[in-house]
Amino acid sequence: MTLDELSKQLTKIELQVATGLRELDQIDAVRSFESSVLGKQGSIGLLLKNIRDYPPEERGQVGQVINSAKAKAKAIIDARLNEIQREAVEKESQGASDVDPTLPGGVEPLGSLHPVTMVQLEIERIFERFGFTVETGPEMESEFHNFDALNIPADHPARDMQDTFWLNNGQVLRTHTSPVQHRAMKKFGAPLRIIAPGRCFRYETLDASHENTFHQVEGLVIDREISIPNLIAMSKALLQEVMQREVKLRVRPGFFPFVEPGLEIDMNCQICGGSGCATCKHSGWVEILPAGMVHPEVLRAGGIDPDQYSGFAFGLGLTRLAMMKYGIRDIRVLNNGDLRPIVCSQRLGGPILVNKAS
Amino acid sequence: MLISLQWIRDFVDLPTDLDPRDLAERVTVTTAEVEEVTPVHINAQGLIAAKILSATDIPEKRNLKLVELEVGDGKTVRTATAAPVLHVGSNVVFAPVGASVTATGAIKAATVAGAPSEGMILPGEAVGIPLAMQEAIFLGDEFQPGQVLPAEMFEDWIIEIDNKSITHRPDLWGHYGMAREIAAIYDVPLSAYPITPKAELCDSNLPEVAISIADAHACRRFTALRLEGVPTIPAPLWMQLRIGRIGMRPISGLVDLTNYIMADLGQPMHAFDADQVPDIDVKWAKDGETLQTLDGMERELTKESLVVQSQGKSLSLAGVMGGLNTEVVDTTDSLLLESANWDPITIRRTAHRLSLRTDAAARFEKSLDPSNTTLSIQRFHLLAKAMYPEMKLTSRLSDNYPSRPDPVIVKVNPPHVKRTLGRACDLTEAVSILSPLGFSVEEIDGSWHVSVPSFRATGDVSIEADVIEEIVRRVGFDAVKPSMPRVSMRDIKMNPIHELEMRSLEFFCLAERFHEVNSYIWYAQDWLKQLGMEAGDCIELRNPAAEGLHQLRRLMMPNMLAAVQRNRFYFSSFNLMDLGSVFELHSKGDQEHRHLALVSARRGKKEESVCLSHIKRAISQWAWLRFGQQVTYTPAAVLAECPWENPHHTATISLGDTIVGRVSVIEPGTRRAMDEHLSAWSIACAEIRLSNLTSLTATVEKLGTIPDHPQIDMDFSILVPASSRYHEIAGQVADFDHDLLKQIRFVDSYEGKSVGEGNRSLTFRTVIGSQQRTLSEEDANGFQDAFEAYVTKLGFALRK
Repeated sequence: MTLDELSKQLTKIELQVATGLRELDQIDAVRSFESSVLGKQGSIGLLLKNIRDYPPEERGQVGQVINSAKAKAKAIIDARLNEIQREAVEKESQGASDVDPTLPGGVEPLGSLHPVTMVQLEIERIFERFGFTVETGPEMESEFHNFDALNIPADHPARDMQDTFWLNNGQVLRTHTSPVQHRAMKKFGAPLRIIAPGRCFRYETLDASHENTFHQVEGLVIDREISIPNLIAMSKALLQEVMQREVKLRVRPGFFPFVEPGLEIDMNCQICGGSGCATCKHSGWVEILPAGMVHPEVLRAGGIDPDQYSGFAFGLGLTRLAMMKYGIRDIRVLNNGDLRPIVCSQRLGGPILVNKAS
Repeated sequence: MLISLQWIRDFVDLPTDLDPRDLAERVTVTTAEVEEVTPVHINAQGLIAAKILSATDIPEKRNLKLVELEVGDGKTVRTATAAPVLHVGSNVVFAPVGASVTATGAIKAATVAGAPSEGMILPGEAVGIPLAMQEAIFLGDEFQPGQVLPAEMFEDWIIEIDNKSITHRPDLWGHYGMAREIAAIYDVPLSAYPITPKAELCDSNLPEVAISIADAHACRRFTALRLEGVPTIPAPLWMQLRIGRIGMRPISGLVDLTNYIMADLGQPMHAFDADQVPDIDVKWAKDGETLQTLDGMERELTKESLVVQSQGKSLSLAGVMGGLNTEVVDTTDSLLLESANWDPITIRRTAHRLSLRTDAAARFEKSLDPSNTTLSIQRFHLLAKAMYPEMKLTSRLSDNYPSRPDPVIVKVNPPHVKRTLGRACDLTEAVSILSPLGFSVEEIDGSWHVSVPSFRATGDVSIEADVIEEIVRRVGFDAVKPSMPRVSMRDIKMNPIHELEMRSLEFFCLAERFHEVNSYIWYAQDWLKQLGMEAGDCIELRNPAAEGLHQLRRLMMPNMLAAVQRNRFYFSSFNLMDLGSVFELHSKGDQEHRHLALVSARRGKKEESVCLSHIKRAISQWAWLRFGQQVTYTPAAVLAECPWENPHHTATISLGDTIVGRVSVIEPGTRRAMDEHLSAWSIACAEIRLSNLTSLTATVEKLGTIPDHPQIDMDFSILVPASSRYHEIAGQVADFDHDLLKQIRFVDSYEGKSVGEGNRSLTFRTVIGSQQRTLSEEDANGFQDAFEAYVTKLGFALRK
C-alpha cells in the first residue's frame, strides 16, 4: 500500500469511526468499538503492525500519518464516551426529580431542656468566659450554712416557719444559694470567683408569680481590691449579655444581712424600654440583681481576712429570668411536668404552619 | 410606710417648686425605695367650720339625717347628711353652697327628701382621709363657725416607702428621720426637733412616777409623765388631715396626738387612765394569765409575755397593745403617759405568738433609739399644750433607764473606703457626707473615729462597712465609674458533680430526645397511695407546703410518673427526664443524693421493648461518653419501694462492678392505677444515682490502627430459649477464646416464626484476623467449627 493509499484508507477509517459511534449509546459498546479500531487487531492497529512492510526511509512518515489518525480517532471516541456519561448523569438526576426539595426534613419530636436549665447554661457560659468556676451546694442545708454563716441573726424573721421550710432533722431547705458562698470560701479560700446556680425553697403560697421552689444563681468575687465600681461593671456586662442588648442600670441601696453596703440593681424595663408599663409597675425599672459587698462577718466566717480581701456578691433569679426570656406568665408551670408550656412547640413535631398565640 | 411631703416641710426648707417625683427618685437611689408618689389634690374652695345645732332622722331615709348648722354671722343652714355620727354642739368641716372640693365639684342648693339642702357636711374621704370614709370631720375650738378653712392645709403629696427597704433603719419610721435624709440629699439644713425643754417637765416639787423594771434586757428604758386637764376634744384639723393622709383614722385628740408622734418621731407611746395606775411595774406575765387588749380580745399570756403592771394587775402587753381596762375614755381627765424602749426580739416574739402585729410592735421590732422616750414626751407636751390650754403636769418626768448603751464609735480605715468606693475619699469629703446624717468624725493617727448618733446606733451602724455604706450611698451609685475587677488567676478544678449533671442533661435532652421536666422534691401522699407505694422512712418537713406534702422524696420516679400521667392527654409518645435531689435518713447524718430519672412512654401495649430499648441505648451511650465504660444490666427483684417495677422486666444498671441505678418496665397494675387510659400504654423508666459517679474517671480507649492483614467479620446467631437472659448468654459467649479471635460484639435479638415458638435468636459478630498473614478459607472454617463446637457445648444450637 502506497503512502497515498494509506492516507485514503485512514480517512475512510476516520469516517467509519465517526459514523459508527453515532449509533452507539452504551459505554460498553463504545469500549468494544474502540478496541475494534485502536486495538492490536483493530483497523488502525493492524496498519501500525504492518509498518515494517514499508521501506525504511518511508517508515517515519508512515508512522506519523498513522499515529495522527489514531489520535484523532481516540479523541472522537473519548468525546462520545463523555457525552454518553453526561447523558446518563442527566437521566439519573431527572429520575430523582419527584423528590420535593422544599419539603421539611424529619418531623420526629426532638428533646428539650427545661427553660430554667437553658437560662442557667447561658449564664454559666457567660461567667466561664470571665473565669468563674461553677460551684454547687446541697438543697438540704444546715441552719448554720443557710443563716448563721451569712450573718443572719438568730431572731431574723427569715428564719420563721412562714418563710423557711424546716425539716424534722433540724435542717432547712435552703432559702437561697448564698450558703454556697460560705462553702466555697471554706473550700478554696481567697481569691475566688464563683457562681452557684441551684434550686431554692421559700415557704410561699403558690400563685401565678410565687413558687415555693425556684432557681437562683449566686455570684461571688473575692480579691485584694474589689470595689463597688467592679460590681456595677460586672452586673452591666452580665445583663447585657443575657438580654443581648444595651441595658441601663439603676443602682440603689438595699439591705441584706450578708452584704454591707447592700444594693439593689434595677434594669430598665425590657418590656416597655423604661417608659412605664404593668410589668415594671409603671416605674420603668425592674429589680433584677440584689447585690452588695460581702459583709466582713461573712468573709470571716469563711476564713477570709476582711482586711486583706474584699468581695462582691449578687443573686439572680434564674426562674424569673427564664420567665422574662420565654414569656412564661405563670410560674407554676415550671414545676408541674406538663410539657406544653415549657417546650418550644417546634421541638414537639414538624414545622408549624399556623401558630396563634394563646 | 406613707410620708407626707407637707409634714416633711415642717423640718426642711425645700424649694417651693420642688418636683415630688424628683424627690422620690433621689430618695430611692440614696436612701430607701419609693414605691409610689401620689398627689393629694383636694382643691378646697370656700370650706368653712360649721356648728351642728340639731340633727334629726329623716323618716323613710334610714341613713340620712337632717342637720341644722350655724355657719357664722348668726346664719343657719340645713342639710341632709349620711355621716354616721353627729355631735350636737360640735364644729364640722362644711362646704356651703358655692364651695367645692375635687371629689364633689361645686356644691349646689338641692332638695333632699323633700327638704332644702344648703351645703354639705364633707365626709372624711372627700378631704383626703380615706379611712374616715363617710364620717364627718369634727373640729375643736380652733375655728369659729363660718371661719374659712385654709385651702393649703388640704394639699399634699404622699410618698410611699417600701417597708422592706427600711427594716434596718428604725430612724426612718418617722417623718423627722426621713426629713434628715431629705435635708442631706438636697443639702439644706434640718430644723431642730420642736420640743418642750426638758427642764420644764422636771419640776422637783411634783412627785415622781414609781417605775420598776424586772428585766433590764427586755425593757431598756421606761419614761412616764402624769398630766391632767386633757378633756376629750378633736385634734387640730391639720393634725387630723396629716395622719389621715398617711392611712390612719382620726379618733380623738389624745389618740391622734400619740399616733401623730409615732409617725413624726417613730416612737410609739401609750396613755393610761392615770387614776388606775398609781405606779408602774414592768415584768414577765405568769403562764395562763389573761389580759383583755384594746381590740376587745381576751389574750392568754405566758411567762414569755412582757407586761406593764400596776398594783399586781396587768395593764398592757408591753410594746404591742394596751389593755381595755385602763383605756382612756371620754370621762378621763388625767393621764399617765408611757414612752418606753423594748427589746426588739421580745416584742417580735410576743406579737408573733399572738398574731398581733400592731404599728407599735412593728416599730419596736426595729430596735428604736432609747433617746426617743424622753424626746417623744417632750414633743407630746409641746403639741398638747397648744391643744389643751388647761393642761397641768401632775408628776415630773420620770425615767427608769437601766440599759443605757455606750456611745458607738466606729474606727474607719481610709484605704478601706477607697477599696470599696473605687476612688479616694478624704476627711473633708467624709465629714461633709456624714455630718448632715448626724455622725461626727475625728481623725486620730490616720484613721477616722466616727461617732454614731443614737438614732443610728441600735444595730444599724456598728462596723466600718456600715459607715462606708453611708459614704457610698451619699456619693451616689450613679456617680461611680464602673470598672472591671482586677483579679488573680487560680487553678480551680471544675466541680465534678455539676459538670456531670449539665453534660448529662444536654446529652439526654439534645442527643437522645428526652424532655427535661422539673418536679417538687417532696412526695404527694395521695399520689403515692394511687401508685400503691409505701414511701418508707423519709426526712419530713415540719411545715409542709400543704397537707400530705411532708415527706421529702427518696426517689424521683413517683413524681416522674405523675408527669407521665399529666402528659398522656396531649402526646401519644414522649420521653421525660428530671435531675434533682433525693433525701435519705441516715444514722451518720441525713443524706442528699443527686438522681437522674428517665421515662419513655408510648401509647400502645406492645411498645414496651421500644421504650425500654430507647432508655437503655441512651444510658449506654451516655455511660460510654462520660465514663468510657460499658453498662451492664443484671436482672433484679422488684423493690418494695418501687411497686411500679414489672418483676419480669427489671434490671440493675452497673458500670463496672458498681450498681448505679435501676431500669424497668412499668407493670400493668400501676399503669391502670395511675390512669385508666394508661392501661393501654407502654412505659419504661430508669433512675440513676449520679452522686456516686463523680469519682469515676473516664477510661480512654486507645484508637486502633489498620491491621496489616485483612480481618474477617463472621456473624453467628445462637438459638436460645426465649426465657433465657442476654446477660447470662453474653457472659458465656464472652468466655469463648480462639487464637484468631479479635472481637465479639452483640448485633441483634430476634423472636419470630422463623426461629420457632419459645425461641430467641441472638446474633453476635466475631472478628478474626492474624498479625502475621492473610487468613485462608481453612482458617475461617476452622474458627467457625470451633465456635460452633463451643456453642453446642453450652447446650445451644447455631441458627443456620
